[in-house]
Amino acid sequence: MSAANDANVVTYGSSAIVALQSGAALPSQFLTFMLGEEQYAVGILHIKEIIEYGSLATVPMMPDCVRGVINLRGAVVPVMDLSARFGRAQSTIGKRSCIVIVETEAGDGESKQVLGMLVDAVNAVVEIAAADIEPAPSFGTRIRPDFIAGMGKHNGRFVILLEIGRVLSSEEIVEMARGSAAVA
Amino acid sequence: MNLDEALQTFIAESRELLEEMENALLNVDLAGDQSEAINAIFRAAHTIKGSSGLFSLDHIVAFTHVVESLLDKVRDGSITLNDEMVVLLLSCCDYLSGMVDGLAAGQLEQDPDTAPEGEMLQQQLRRHMDGDAAPAAAAIPALHAEPSVERIDTERGDSDYWHISLRFGRVVLQNGMDPIAFLRYLAKLGRIVGIATVPDAIPPAEEMDAELCYLGFEIAFDSTADREAIAGVFEFVQEDCEIRIIPPHSKVSEYVNLIRALPEQAARLGEILVRCGSVTQQELDGALHQQSHKEEDAPAQQLGSILVGAGNVPPVVVEAALAKQKQVSEQKAQESRSIRVDSDKLDKLIDLVGELIIAGARANMIGQHIQNTELLECTSTLTGLVEDVRDAALELRMVKIGATFNRFQRVVHDVARELGKDIGLIVDGEDSELDKTVVEKIGDPLMHLVRNAMDHGIEPAEVRVAAGKSAKGMIKLNAFHESGSIVIEVSDDGGGLRKEKILAKAVERGLVDPERKLTDSEIYNLIFEAGFSTAEKITNLSGRGVGMDVVKRNIQALRGSVDVSSREGQGTTVTVRLPLTLAIIDGFLVQVGSSVFVVPLDMIEECIEYATEPGQDYTNLRGQVLPLVRLREQFRIGGTATRRESIVVLKFGNHRAGMVVDTLLGEFQTVIKPLSPMFSEVKCISGSTILGSGEVALILDVAALMHTVGGKGAVAQAA
Repeated sequence: MSAANDANVVTYGSSAIVALQSGAALPSQFLTFMLGEEQYAVGILHIKEIIEYGSLATVPMMPDCVRGVINLRGAVVPVMDLSARFGRAQSTIGKRSCIVIVETEAGDGESKQVLGMLVDAVNAVVEIAAADIEPAPSFGTRIRPDFIAGMGKHNGRFVILLEIGRVLSSEEIVEMARGSAAVA
Repeated sequence: MNLDEALQTFIAESRELLEEMENALLNVDLAGDQSEAINAIFRAAHTIKGSSGLFSLDHIVAFTHVVESLLDKVRDGSITLNDEMVVLLLSCCDYLSGMVDGLAAGQLEQDPDTAPEGEMLQQQLRRHMDGDAAPAAAAIPALHAEPSVERIDTERGDSDYWHISLRFGRVVLQNGMDPIAFLRYLAKLGRIVGIATVPDAIPPAEEMDAELCYLGFEIAFDSTADREAIAGVFEFVQEDCEIRIIPPHSKVSEYVNLIRALPEQAARLGEILVRCGSVTQQELDGALHQQSHKEEDAPAQQLGSILVGAGNVPPVVVEAALAKQKQVSEQKAQESRSIRVDSDKLDKLIDLVGELIIAGARANMIGQHIQNTELLECTSTLTGLVEDVRDAALELRMVKIGATFNRFQRVVHDVARELGKDIGLIVDGEDSELDKTVVEKIGDPLMHLVRNAMDHGIEPAEVRVAAGKSAKGMIKLNAFHESGSIVIEVSDDGGGLRKEKILAKAVERGLVDPERKLTDSEIYNLIFEAGFSTAEKITNLSGRGVGMDVVKRNIQALRGSVDVSSREGQGTTVTVRLPLTLAIIDGFLVQVGSSVFVVPLDMIEECIEYATEPGQDYTNLRGQVLPLVRLREQFRIGGTATRRESIVVLKFGNHRAGMVVDTLLGEFQTVIKPLSPMFSEVKCISGSTILGSGEVALILDVAALMHTVGGKGAVAQAA
């Protein structure tokens, strides 16, 4: 995971500090991971741990993007299939499939919620200076624009920084579940 | 300590005290001997007043002060407690809890909305007090004027009186203690032969703080009470105050020691002692002389040892003192035996123990896998221990049901008054323990049941007398453990349920088919159907027809059941059966495809081999139609059925259904884990659990499952 780290020693530019102070601060360290052929990143402060894909219990009558629940040392944690969440097919489990355990704030802004994201592979932790982050384009990405926190430039390529609170919003999942229950 | 934290403690403590006070009040009219109850009430009011003084909650202090003054009068016997006063004091209790609730909500000042109520109560309280019930503060200056207490030294000599030396702490008034009240109470134990006020500590007027108490008293006291009883008078203030008690016939040297120990000038104190009649001048002079000699001889010796060694102190006194000391230390030990723990911490512990069980099970599996007998032996011991730990951890959450039951004393008292019936409450099995969460949730259903029994069950007095029963009706609450669950019975000795009337009503409401033959118990249980009420007269207590079905639903939500039995003319008993804990469930594991589900064991009637009428989703269960739910289809689980499917026969209320599953895995006792709110829309799943293998299994909500399936059937019919 730290293999790519040494190549990316970044000194903070003054603009980054301004960005941090202005409250629009994005964490400068990101975990990058793969979904199919695409690379995404999530701010490292959201991430609790990364575990191997293991036994998972499916919960019936839930939308496709909820893969099921796992036993995380005694706590039952729901796992989201990110690929399905972005409107694609469910991820196929491979050798490098991982569950990234993240902590997000629930809708009320008070209680923290622990969730798992199923991803195809985890790449590395990279540092992206605030200056290297551009706002999301209003169109042109294949995922919903409100899922994107920004576009980070890393090694000359763009990586989509995910707005994790929106992507893993449980209210939306509840809505979807209600919808699918009504259809059934 | 953080003041906020302290305030929280105060709020919790006050609530407890108010509850105690309420119980004591309710018990007063039951028991003939009032003194203990009155003391308990007084103590509660007094402690609340004292503590609220600490937080300068003046409105509470002011109010409790009036309550306390009345209670003080009751305690010293100048007023006898009557029924009217009990009711008034109960309202005061309510008013106080209102104030405490306001406090909990962050309201530190008097709520202007409730102020008139408080004013009214205070006036009523004052009315009950005697005419001479001037505010206690005004009574202090009056003390000197009272000729009976101001000592004129006519009686002097052998000092067969107790001598009590009091120096009240500066803060006693602020703490809501009134020195004069203690003296009055002391006078109950005997005769105050002489009293001298020691005002020496009062600073010059400009430096004096009117809220501080600067006074001390020297008292000669004639009483047959023992030291313990006398010391007990000052129990509330003993931490703030210097209190010295010298028993009768003590050596004069003891007085001398007293004089030395006190901050005032020796000569002046000696004079005071002589004045209040505890010692004579000669005795004092002699002793002062003697003492100074003694000191030269044995300067290092403790006073106590000198006295005992010289045989100066009667052994009884020493014993009494020792007994008192022992009592105090025992009390402390008692206090430290119970601790308040945040229930989150307990949940965390139980979670961890659950983990431990799973880890143990895995170790056991590995042991079996590699066939190492030593390891297996070791893990089996471990498993046993861990299970013990789990039981102990779960027991931590267990509380006695007594507190919940006792709350009903008040309810019965109030409701009986409201209904104009004479009704008593008998409580049994208060020591039965059950999980805290269950206790919290059964309050409301029980309340409905008790009110219902009082309103509909117990007949008016004339009817009772005509039927040859005592005019006073009785409600009985009983609790006991039975095979892993707790049973709570609410019974009355009233008129009982009238079968024909219930049946007629049910037919009228279209709840049952008039052609159907029902057993007695089926008829009785109709009262739990929605929209059923047989009371002709709708009262504000019950009779709106929402009570009983809500009760049933609430109890079922706790995985419990409710049943009613009745004998016409003799009474009705409602039996509520609840699991001991909500944290653990006795489940039955079934498998469909790769998913494992837990079905609550008490919902399962039997398991049978899969068989079905061709092309239909029902089967013939010993001549009865058993509709089937195919879990695989219901939950859209992929894959095809195994060759040997099974049917789990579920019973829910009066409905019965079969659930088709792939495999039966057997019974399993398990810790329930809540599911993420994300799954709130999945109605058929009530929670999850972790199996021995570490896998997650979902717990089926049978009631919801039946409801979903039933609802669909209705839709299909309509279409």
